[in-house]
Amino acid sequence: MFKQMLQDLLLTYGPSGREDAIAACIERYAAPYADDIRRDALGNLIVHRAGKSGKRVMLSAHMDQIGLVVVDIDENGFLRIAPVGGVSPAIAAARQVVFANGVRGVTGWETKSKTAATAAMPELFVDIGASDRESAEAHVNVGDMCVFAGDFIDMGDRVACAAMDNRIACAVLLEVLRRMQTDHEVYAVFTVQEEVGLRGAAPAAYAIEPDLNINLDTTLTGDTPECGKLNMMLGKGAAIKAMDSSVIVPAAVRRFLTDVAEKHHIAYQHEVLRAGGTDTGAIQRVRDGVLAGCISIPTRYIHTPVETIALSDAENAVRLVCAALEEEALPVAPGTKPVV
Amino acid sequence: MDYMETLSALTSAAGTSGNEGGAAAVAEGLFRQYTEDVWRDPLGNVYARVGSGRPVVLVCAHMDEIGMMVASIEDNGMLRMARVGGIDPRVLPGSEVVVHGKTDLPGVIGAVPPHLLGTDRDAAYQLEELTCDTGYPAERVRELVSVGDTITFAPLKPLKLQNELVASKTMDDRALVSCMCDAMEMLQSRRLHCTVVFCATVQEEVGCYGAAAAGYHVNPDIAIAMDVSHAPTPDAPTYRTTPIDKVCMTRGGNIHPGVFQMLSDAAKRCNIPFEPTVVLGGTGTDARALQLQQNGVPTGLLELPLKYMHTSVEVGSLETLHNCAKILTECFAAIGDGWEDALCWND
Amino acid sequence: MLERLKTLSELYGVSGNETRVRAYLRRQVEPYADEVFVDPVGNLYAHKRGSGPRVMLAAHMDEVGMIVRGITDAGTLLYDAGGIDPRVVVSKRVSVGPNDIPGVIGAKAIHLQSPEERKRALKHTDLYVDIGAKDRSDAEKLVSKGDYISFTTAFSTFGDGLVKGKALDDRVGCAIVTELFTHGYDCDLWAVFTVQEELGLRGAAVTANRVKPDIALILEGTTANDVAETPSHRSVTTVGAGAAITFADGRTIVPERMMTLLRETARRNGIPWQMRKGTAGGTDAGVIHKSLSGVVCGGISVPCRYIHSPVSVAAISDIEAAHALAHTFLNERLFDEVL
Repeated sequence: MFKQMLQDLLLTYGPSGREDAIAACIERYAAPYADDIRRDALGNLIVHRAGKSGKRVMLSAHMDQIGLVVVDIDENGFLRIAPVGGVSPAIAAARQVVFANGVRGVTGWETKSKTAATAAMPELFVDIGASDRESAEAHVNVGDMCVFAGDFIDMGDRVACAAMDNRIACAVLLEVLRRMQTDHEVYAVFTVQEEVGLRGAAPAAYAIEPDLNINLDTTLTGDTPECGKLNMMLGKGAAIKAMDSSVIVPAAVRRFLTDVAEKHHIAYQHEVLRAGGTDTGAIQRVRDGVLAGCISIPTRYIHTPVETIALSDAENAVRLVCAALEEEALPVAPGTKPVV
Repeated sequence: MDYMETLSALTSAAGTSGNEGGAAAVAEGLFRQYTEDVWRDPLGNVYARVGSGRPVVLVCAHMDEIGMMVASIEDNGMLRMARVGGIDPRVLPGSEVVVHGKTDLPGVIGAVPPHLLGTDRDAAYQLEELTCDTGYPAERVRELVSVGDTITFAPLKPLKLQNELVASKTMDDRALVSCMCDAMEMLQSRRLHCTVVFCATVQEEVGCYGAAAAGYHVNPDIAIAMDVSHAPTPDAPTYRTTPIDKVCMTRGGNIHPGVFQMLSDAAKRCNIPFEPTVVLGGTGTDARALQLQQNGVPTGLLELPLKYMHTSVEVGSLETLHNCAKILTECFAAIGDGWEDALCWND
Repeated sequence: MLERLKTLSELYGVSGNETRVRAYLRRQVEPYADEVFVDPVGNLYAHKRGSGPRVMLAAHMDEVGMIVRGITDAGTLLYDAGGIDPRVVVSKRVSVGPNDIPGVIGAKAIHLQSPEERKRALKHTDLYVDIGAKDRSDAEKLVSKGDYISFTTAFSTFGDGLVKGKALDDRVGCAIVTELFTHGYDCDLWAVFTVQEELGLRGAAVTANRVKPDIALILEGTTANDVAETPSHRSVTTVGAGAAITFADGRTIVPERMMTLLRETARRNGIPWQMRKGTAGGTDAGVIHKSLSGVVCGGISVPCRYIHSPVSVAAISDIEAAHALAHTFLNERLFDEVL
């Protein structure tokens, strides 16, 4: 059932800034477990569950995915594009893409002097099968976005697809909503525009003013041939973040999460990520600071159409978040005294 | 206040960005010598308040330090590192460090002996190539150290050089935290007609995040950041340095002209040598974030010229440091009626 | 509006020193505003109270320029520059400091440069401002460290329906916002003229906190790279082709409903329009939309060639189109449709 939900999330359209479809999809799964659901000015989907402990926990996972945006349509119907989020041109060339309205296309490149591997982003274009500008404009406008078409690859415990970053974390968060038993007030926020620079999460946290944030995202791994030296591996459990390029997680939050994992015998690993940021950083810096941590799903081949994860890591992440929410005593920020 | 004593206490405390607990405890202890009104905010900034009423002036110096974090542990127990803040990997080989595991472990960062070096001696070291050696076998390392633990330079005592110069790790920016203590001490014998909130900030080295929270938390009428700038070395262009015996006072878009005026007037009244320095946009200091909190904050910046910034032997002048404190003290003591007019834009 | 644009374009207002532009705009909006004030960073606010949503119009007052950061023994001025390609400043006339001391940007004469030097692009550190001073002390009588340095290009009409001048980015925005504000609309209307946009959207970062807008519309002078050899998809915008509507830039993604509304409004009203085709660069929307718990932002731009240089070029028809589109958006209360 989790796999079915994950597949549904993975194959739903939602590049940064154009999250309406994925938000609607998530809302359907979240509705049975919510006291209240709303979307804010930027489109963050905010699912609220009342509590009685007096503590407010914000759980978050970004729902946007990387993609391409049409910047121009030429007289022969080719669509020139720019990246939405961290898309490498070598990965964007020779791919299948799909638009919000279901229009499909493929990415081509200027072949005179370049190959699919060497073409730069302005040398790429999308071919939707139109023969001239007019027929292209019947389907697509400048400013429209497409995403890489997902193909769900089921390898048993391990699965691969485009948009695994970050729909696997959305699936984890939905599963947490279904299973959690907690006295704390919970806001589960599916954020927008993470891939273009952590833009959506802070405004949501500004409105919610949480006592604690646990963010969910994917992270790189160090377990493939000749890769960078990283501690994270597929199948070794939920990764508890210590640092990435956007955030240093307070020791109190890390200790809380590792203690909970130890207590419940939940497999976990430590995460230090040299490059790459997450909403955790944006949320930590809202107002005069928010106690924020992050649980990551180790993911191979991030920002490609074959992002690969282990479902066991996702399950451990679900258990870890649920167990953390059952704790009466949450980590406490260094101070709160209001001033002057 | 004895600067060497205060600096010893502050610079020996561990506190890489985001993990400032050790430094925060020392700063809090020092602050409490001058006032009981000491507290922290949710991000971990440490505050001390003196005086009362408006205007509220917020003074910030950051207490975090650059350093490393354990990123992975090799099969042989060697530690691979990730950088915290702008550490230069080229200064690391041959350094003594402390690994803050379950207990504090001494460590060394290895360097390949010259006779084993190949032909690429000119290539700068990358952090990912370097390892930290704790001297323990792998099993013991895994018991004591986990990925995510921090590593700092070994806290050798500050070294007094000639002419009141002192060399230490983390002069950037704990020297200015000690300067805030000096100012608090001097303010005890002055009459104040304003509130001064002193703040040792966190996470400056990774993006001035502490100062942003402090500006939001205090919502001050005036903010002053204190940091370090570059003192001349033979190889640096003169327009980017300030003589080591002069207080560096910044102007430019990040600085409110009225606050610059207040600080420079105070320096002139005390006959303290200072030199204006010019930065067009946001400075690389807490001032950058302070200016843009809440409805905007008139912001000033004082800096201590420092040689060899971001190494374990940052060199600055104790006399200049004391002069920074004197400027602050004089500036705050002079604030009274008319402060609002002084901060108006004269269009 | 052209007269006002001429005045605005010729005022000196390098980022961090928007004093004269602010004083001028203040005089322009004051008769129409219920309140006018300047915040601690230097942003100018004009507020006309009304019922309905709080609508914020924003344009930045600052222009690219330089600041004196040192004076050499020879009396020449070393400078720091923001957002200017050093290759375009050499041999230009400038004005230095509050007393408008005339100067030129000098470099070693080409005859004195080695063949290698001639091939290399000049950097700001190779250049200096010469005010004719004999030596340092002579220079210090007239200018000081921290003085701002502006280009001095005169504004004029030009070619077929174009204008040329300095600082069109973003004095065209200032001119349009002023025009809109003096007209007044059925909403709680704020005109905000920001500072230090060219230094990384600094001034605007605090404006939403003050205004708490329901919606913000940013008026900008944007890149028009419609010059020879540039393919259409790299031109960003075309001068004379109409008001440019933003779908995304390097700092903001405009909500689809906002983008579509502006496009359909232009289409329906016969206002010339084009989509701004680039996704690079940023406007004040980049910080405004992330403020508080999020603000819906839209962007309308006037295509300008050669922005961030001493002289830029725009079409009068585009300025009129950008104004007409923003006016229609406000006058017909179309903002209600995106809230």
